[in-house]
Amino acid sequence: MIGTIFDIKKFAVHDGPGIRSTVFLKGCHLNCIWCHNPEGISPKVNLWYFENKCIKCHKCIGSCQNNALSIQEKPLSHIKIDTEKCSNAGTCVAICPTGALCFDGRTVSTQEVFEILMADQVFYEQSKGGITLSGGDPFYQSDFALDILKSCKNNAIHTAIETCLYVHSDVLEHFIPFVDLFIVDMKLYDTYEHQRYTGVRNESIKFNLHYLADRKVNLLVRIPLIPGITAKDENIKNIAAFVHSIRDDIKIELINYNVLAESKYRIMNKSYSLLHNMQSFTQSELNHFNQIIKNEGVHVLEEIHLD
Amino acid sequence: MRKNLKADILEISKLKSTDRIKRLKEKTLSEPRYLSLEQAKIITKCYQQNEHLPRILQRAKSLESALEKISIHIDTEELIVGNRTPGIRSGVVSPEAGISWIDEELSTLDRRPQDKFFVRPEDVSVFREDILPFWKGKSLEDMIKYRIGTEISEIKKVAKINQTDHAQGHICPNTEDWLKLGPSGLKAIAKTYYENASTDNKIFYESVMITLSAAQTFMKRYGSLANQMAVETDDVNLKNNLEEVSRICFKLADEAPSTFHEAIQSLWFLYVILQMESNASSFSPGRADQYLYPYLIHDLTNNVLTMPEALEIIEALWLKFNQIVYLRNSNSAKYFAGFPIGFNIACGGQTQDGEDASNALSYLFLKAQEHILLPQPNLSARLFKGSAPEFVYECSRVIGMGSGMPQIFNDESIIPALMRQGIKEDDATNYAIVGCVELTTHGNNLGWSDAAMFNLVKALELTLNNGICLQTGKQLGVATGYLTDYKTYNDLEEAYKKQLDYFIDRMITTCDVVDRMHAEFLPSPFLSSVIDGCLEKGIDVTAGGALYNLSGIQAIQVANLADSLATIKHMIYDDKSLDASELLHALQTNYEGNDILRQYIINRIPKYGNDVSWVDHIGNQWVEYFSNKLSTYENARGGPYHTGLYTVSAHIPMGQNVGASADGRLSNDPLADGGMSAMYGRDKQGPTALLKSVSRINSIYGSNGTLLNMKFLPDFFKTDEGIKKFSSMLMTIVHLNISHVQFNVLRKEDLLSAQKNPDAFKGLTVRVAGYTAYFVDLATDLQDEIIARTSYGDIS
Repeated sequence: MIGTIFDIKKFAVHDGPGIRSTVFLKGCHLNCIWCHNPEGISPKVNLWYFENKCIKCHKCIGSCQNNALSIQEKPLSHIKIDTEKCSNAGTCVAICPTGALCFDGRTVSTQEVFEILMADQVFYEQSKGGITLSGGDPFYQSDFALDILKSCKNNAIHTAIETCLYVHSDVLEHFIPFVDLFIVDMKLYDTYEHQRYTGVRNESIKFNLHYLADRKVNLLVRIPLIPGITAKDENIKNIAAFVHSIRDDIKIELINYNVLAESKYRIMNKSYSLLHNMQSFTQSELNHFNQIIKNEGVHVLEEIHLD
Repeated sequence: MRKNLKADILEISKLKSTDRIKRLKEKTLSEPRYLSLEQAKIITKCYQQNEHLPRILQRAKSLESALEKISIHIDTEELIVGNRTPGIRSGVVSPEAGISWIDEELSTLDRRPQDKFFVRPEDVSVFREDILPFWKGKSLEDMIKYRIGTEISEIKKVAKINQTDHAQGHICPNTEDWLKLGPSGLKAIAKTYYENASTDNKIFYESVMITLSAAQTFMKRYGSLANQMAVETDDVNLKNNLEEVSRICFKLADEAPSTFHEAIQSLWFLYVILQMESNASSFSPGRADQYLYPYLIHDLTNNVLTMPEALEIIEALWLKFNQIVYLRNSNSAKYFAGFPIGFNIACGGQTQDGEDASNALSYLFLKAQEHILLPQPNLSARLFKGSAPEFVYECSRVIGMGSGMPQIFNDESIIPALMRQGIKEDDATNYAIVGCVELTTHGNNLGWSDAAMFNLVKALELTLNNGICLQTGKQLGVATGYLTDYKTYNDLEEAYKKQLDYFIDRMITTCDVVDRMHAEFLPSPFLSSVIDGCLEKGIDVTAGGALYNLSGIQAIQVANLADSLATIKHMIYDDKSLDASELLHALQTNYEGNDILRQYIINRIPKYGNDVSWVDHIGNQWVEYFSNKLSTYENARGGPYHTGLYTVSAHIPMGQNVGASADGRLSNDPLADGGMSAMYGRDKQGPTALLKSVSRINSIYGSNGTLLNMKFLPDFFKTDEGIKKFSSMLMTIVHLNISHVQFNVLRKEDLLSAQKNPDAFKGLTVRVAGYTAYFVDLATDLQDEIIARTSYGDIS
């Protein structure tokens, strides 16, 4: 089977137990305004240009049969990509000596992904780790995702999937036998707010969490802390209460806001809708949010910080 | 074995450094480093008075004289006493070994770029009037120059011959027997041999006995000084301490130690005296957690020592290891920057029965490392498949403190590699580390681990350019042809073999001469008394008295070699996307006007360190060839030559000897660091891919030692979960049969350098949010943010 990914990260240590490799699949039904992997939202492959890597040899310009590339004056980026003309032929990418021009994703077969993942098998074995599918959202290419999971599971590799669960539960059901851990992003409890910031309503997400909980699967709920949006006492409290109501052994992990998300938007010439200069939460603020969760009777997955 | 190791580990984990240790550490670091000529003067006088004697007796009497006369100093608070100079961290000159370079560099020692030492003005005249005239033309350095100097300089760009101006170090003496017997016990053994020896051998035993008697005198002098200081002080605590120090010193002169404190003091005396006999780099205590353990248990069981007291004694010893530094000539200081002296201690590992050997002392050593965080001792941890998870965790935690220690060694690959060199299984199982990363057996080996460094990348340069040096245009090697002459990749390989064979042969011939000259000029009777085999055979250690006699040659540098050949194979012979003439021209002109090709090679051709097996196999193929070629030679002491894969800091000066290379490296630029490491910035797939590549260089060939540097951010070690994941990575390294790895845990300063010099830090990754990104790919303001963030995360 063939699918589109935008990265495979080896030595992933925050996406489940042990040392893992994470496959980032392209495409997502949501469009969260804070998304830290914006290239994962579109299922299509796009041409990227990194000016800091460019040595201005201009080999790319002549190589393009569609004349999609041209030089432009500062402060604009040195090479201009005319996305209307670009056909993703890749001649410029092949000729670029530094990789300044590259695609933000690639089409690969299940077998190819599997072989890349199995290269680190010894690390999974020693660390009780495995592989994680992430994105985008893996369910956007659900057949492909399932195919990868099956090949791994058949080789006794621990599997995790990181998802917002915006998927039909019929699809979800097929995944259950091949996933050892579901890491579920719950961003906003309020349906209206959810639609406002992610573009979709969240009834199906809640339903699916319920559905998975009833099927006794291994679950972890993650809340990304976005200042002023998800990181509100009431939202955290509501999510925690909801999680507690469906199964009391599900843990919640808070993901601190990371100010680095902005960088990719610049490369993509996208505007970042969030305010500039927002700060990560301090440890005491994190403690405050964690306490709200605990008050609802839910366990918090917290990394033990050493003195 | 102690029954409740878990309780010991828990107690040790809570121990703190004492104020006394903190004060002693401060004193150790604050005293400026000076050149010290006192011993050189004493030795010179002794040689003048004994010019008629055989060299071994001259050496014995010189050491005797130094041990009797050298000024000694005790700090009132010291628990462990003794140094080879009254000042802390003085640079010692050994006229027998090398004197000319000091003459040349005396005026620049205090302002040379690396490893500065102050020189007292009066010492300049002492050196020039009292010392230099006598030794001119007589030292090892001068004699080597005289006999083989031309050959050494002719081959130096390819094979740098070492050990030409200092005595042999990189030795792990039999400390265990020294502790059991002491100088008096060893002397008694030597005496028995002496009585039954032939006239020729009598001189050897006589020399040994002279040095052992002098060792006793040296200890008593410290006993007397401590006693005198005790009398002179009114402070009760200091008085008690000095009286105890005095008692121990006097006791050790005539008896073997029985307590832990006595054993540590005895150990330190051994190493001070070894350093006085041979001003050499690295005498290593080896597996001290094994042979000191009975003393610790004895004291703990009899309630004469508590765990905090044991730690304080260990930390006192740790500080002493930092008080002897090694003064190298300025060229050598470039190769081994930071005056490493290499008191290497190996903790953990396995017993002869294959059981986990880690014990309470292993944990105390790690705790001391965490507290002291100084360059010495060079603390190593041996791991194997059966290592206790607690021990691996503790190693990981201390690595996260950022001192780069403990460095990790892997029993699973090292033991078989040593056995391949003819070492018996029990000796291989009991291996230790000397210097930086060199492997040795324990107490019975003259490993001569740094005989020479062989520049594989330079040899390839000559193969591509008809034996002509790209930097000077001189004919250095065999005229095997130009890259353009090789019709197939196989032709190129055959030419490269010729070039390697040619230089290996010249190198070995020269190494043998140097080896024999050490026996001629620098016999070492005191050292011989603590190396198994010498007393039995009646042969000095430098002449082949040890049970094992190895010689190590470093093959440098796998990464650049594999990357260069990968470019050539891929672009010229397989893909035919590049003309041989174009690449040759680019190399001859240092890529001038051809940056596009250079960038393409750097960024688009697969590189070692990225888990690309065909590239890694090229590296392994040549390490195998080199190692097999070496094994066809025997050294001057009758032992094998074997291969090391490490450079310490030599990748910089060795790079200065190499013109532009086919991996896109410019002329004079450094080679890859370490030995097993990828070229900096070219391993882009993260640590697991790097480790997979490294594991393809078969560790069986690196029996002299290998070196892999890895960098991690301190953040990784901030959580229990992070340390556990790091530990599991260490165990994966064990399973991958990688012999060695050491870690740089990067801090703010390193990240600032990364900003200034992004090329050198291309592989440095940081956690962004749900993904990891390369630090240098991030915009400056984001980098600034990360730098600010890590400074919050400071753990110390």
